[in-house]
Amino acid sequence: MITWLTTTNHKRIGILYMATTGVFFVIAGLLALVIRLQLAQPNETLVSASAFNQLFTLHGTAMIFLVIAPFGFGLANYLIPLQIGAPDMAFPRLNALGVWLFIISGLVVFSGAFAAGGAAFAGWTAFAPLSGIQISTGAGEDLWIIGLLLNAIATIIVAINFITTILLYRAPGMTMWRMPVFTWEMLATALMILMAFPALAAVLFELLIDRHYGGHFFDPAQGGNVVLYQHLFWFFGHPEVYVMILPYFGVVSEIIAVFSGKPIFGYVGLVLSAFAIAGLSMSVWAHHMFTTGVVANAFFSAMSFLIAVPTGVKFWNWIGTMWGGRIRLETPMLFIIGFLLNFLIGGITGVMIASPPIDYHAEDSYFIVAHMHYVLGGGSLFAVLGAVYFWWPKMFGVKLSETLGKWNFWTMFVAFNVVFLPMHFMGLEGMPRRVYTYAATGDLPWLNLVSTIGALLMALSVMLFILNVILSSASSMRVVEGRHQLPDDPWGGANSLEWATSCPPPEFNFTALPPIRSERPTWDLNHVSR
Amino acid sequence: MPILQPASLQAEDLRGVWVIFLATALVVAAFVYALIFYALIRWRDRGQSKMPPQFKQNAPLEIIGVIVPLLIVIGLFYITYVREVANDALHANPYATVDVKAFRWSWTFSYPGHNVSITGTPQAPPELVLPVNKLTQVNLYSADIDHSFWIPAFLFKRDALPGFPNHFDLTPNKIGVYPGNCSEFCGLDHALMTFTVRVVPVADYERWLSSRATAPQNATMARRANNVIVRLKRVIVSLSNDPEQRPKDASRRAHRP
Repeated sequence: MITWLTTTNHKRIGILYMATTGVFFVIAGLLALVIRLQLAQPNETLVSASAFNQLFTLHGTAMIFLVIAPFGFGLANYLIPLQIGAPDMAFPRLNALGVWLFIISGLVVFSGAFAAGGAAFAGWTAFAPLSGIQISTGAGEDLWIIGLLLNAIATIIVAINFITTILLYRAPGMTMWRMPVFTWEMLATALMILMAFPALAAVLFELLIDRHYGGHFFDPAQGGNVVLYQHLFWFFGHPEVYVMILPYFGVVSEIIAVFSGKPIFGYVGLVLSAFAIAGLSMSVWAHHMFTTGVVANAFFSAMSFLIAVPTGVKFWNWIGTMWGGRIRLETPMLFIIGFLLNFLIGGITGVMIASPPIDYHAEDSYFIVAHMHYVLGGGSLFAVLGAVYFWWPKMFGVKLSETLGKWNFWTMFVAFNVVFLPMHFMGLEGMPRRVYTYAATGDLPWLNLVSTIGALLMALSVMLFILNVILSSASSMRVVEGRHQLPDDPWGGANSLEWATSCPPPEFNFTALPPIRSERPTWDLNHVSR
Repeated sequence: MPILQPASLQAEDLRGVWVIFLATALVVAAFVYALIFYALIRWRDRGQSKMPPQFKQNAPLEIIGVIVPLLIVIGLFYITYVREVANDALHANPYATVDVKAFRWSWTFSYPGHNVSITGTPQAPPELVLPVNKLTQVNLYSADIDHSFWIPAFLFKRDALPGFPNHFDLTPNKIGVYPGNCSEFCGLDHALMTFTVRVVPVADYERWLSSRATAPQNATMARRANNVIVRLKRVIVSLSNDPEQRPKDASRRAHRP
């Protein structure tokens, strides 16, 4: 136990990250369940307005900062050294600092719930002056700010570590253009983090100074500027969306190639598209501000449309990878197909709301809620689950149950769409986001009820997943250390280096490296050398 | 389902953009779904032992995969740009002008020059009365924090931001009552920050305006009194703004014959 607290090993730190995000995911998911129950019917009184506002603030904050983004960091921590043939990350102790800062940041954010006046209630965007001291009087908002500052520092630390490791710690033969797509996507992600997260840290500091040290950055009565807050926040906030997506583009690329029995199609195009997205993501922030009337809508609209092109390239190449292959529909691949089907809807609605005339209606409505959940839930979270099923045998030496996994996938896929598809129509009918109640007009009552029923089904699906993890953990306890039952490549047809070492890998990852002569050394090892 | 049924001239143009984008979305989604399902059905593993062909790229296909989406978004951007410029343009000489002031958690609608002002509460939301088929210019303000003024039937919203007044045109073209709400989260009772829009024939609008206004003479008196108060306030503000300088200047000016 104590070895887990003091570890600097990248695999253990990766698992610490991922396990922590699992706990935070369950908490944030339960908050969402209460939100859905409150909205099941009009004028429901399950929770008060004040409690509801805290619920969606914590739900959004936790899912973004404590689940979807850091799971990617955990997975990358585990995988990058293995994929490039390195024994560990470049800065192991800094890595340990990062993961503990991240864990503490989550505890600080959630501790707001026990503060006088409750947790922060200004939403995950915490727009000033709503998040200012006059309105958000309690310590909950301060704990939120401090928690996210720690989170920003942890994230910058992890990004520096990724970049250094990828650039300097590659094994002999592992040229940049032989790196797996996942490692490439993490390099692009880390570069975005270095540009975006300092803006988050700056805006949080300014908020803190405004609240407690007599600042007036965002106080209009004293010459402060409320639009400045939005600019700074979204300058971070939009790249952050891609920080939560690019790692999972990498996951999809890895899994889809293995289960299609083919190399990834258009490797160079996939890599270049990742950097195109990372670059464009820095120039689209004000598309969150089309309705403010004070930004150059046409420019930000054009740049946002352009992001559809590299994203389209990715879809094209994933389909090209499946084309003519031998597609095995095991659980990881099912989740990746779920990702493709859901993320496509989120991507397409994303192109729609990149158009200001459409955004004038859709902005801040349930249409946006549907859009971003299709991207981050139907997209990223499906890839998270796919990644867990795919790399679990590598990490713990046993496979998760395929039967439970398939039940998990189908219930999750149905539940997800039952929850979020109706939200498009709620938004179009005029339901704004972040409301604790709504009028019993039009189709809103039954649409909301359907959505809530879907949420209950989703909770069931998550329980199936937890059951699967518990059962497999019980069986992995029985695996005697040193006598692994699984082969190095338990799925068959693997490409990247992590599948050329044992399950789980030894402390320093490789006893011997295979020759690296292409972007799929393990495939070469298993199909050519032997 | 009552969605995308525009009740204003501007909304009909905005709806045009929605329809084009939705149609494009459906075509693109159908095409990509068809490719995915075709691949899944055609090449699903059925225990065949033959290794699939190991091709890695196809330059012409990959270039098409860049150019086609690029052409689509260029077309969509053109449509967007034209409609957006038309929608955001302000027309001179509106028939009516309404000042909308958002505050936590309701709205004040006032009609400058008519001495009509309606202020709502979260429990009793206010009603905005607009003449049908006439151009109304809305001046949007916020008294405290960020809000957003959304009328779903007009497919339109604009943010009310402290320090950044917004102006836009509305030409309702269907008589009726439409719900509206604040769509930018603004704290505790954000959900109750609603209002209704009642679109009425022009004659009814005029009758309503004069019935709501205080008697003209009183109105003039009130305006004069108001002007005095505004001037006094300005003096007080200018005095308090700069405690070192202003009193001196003011006293010097006062002593000047």
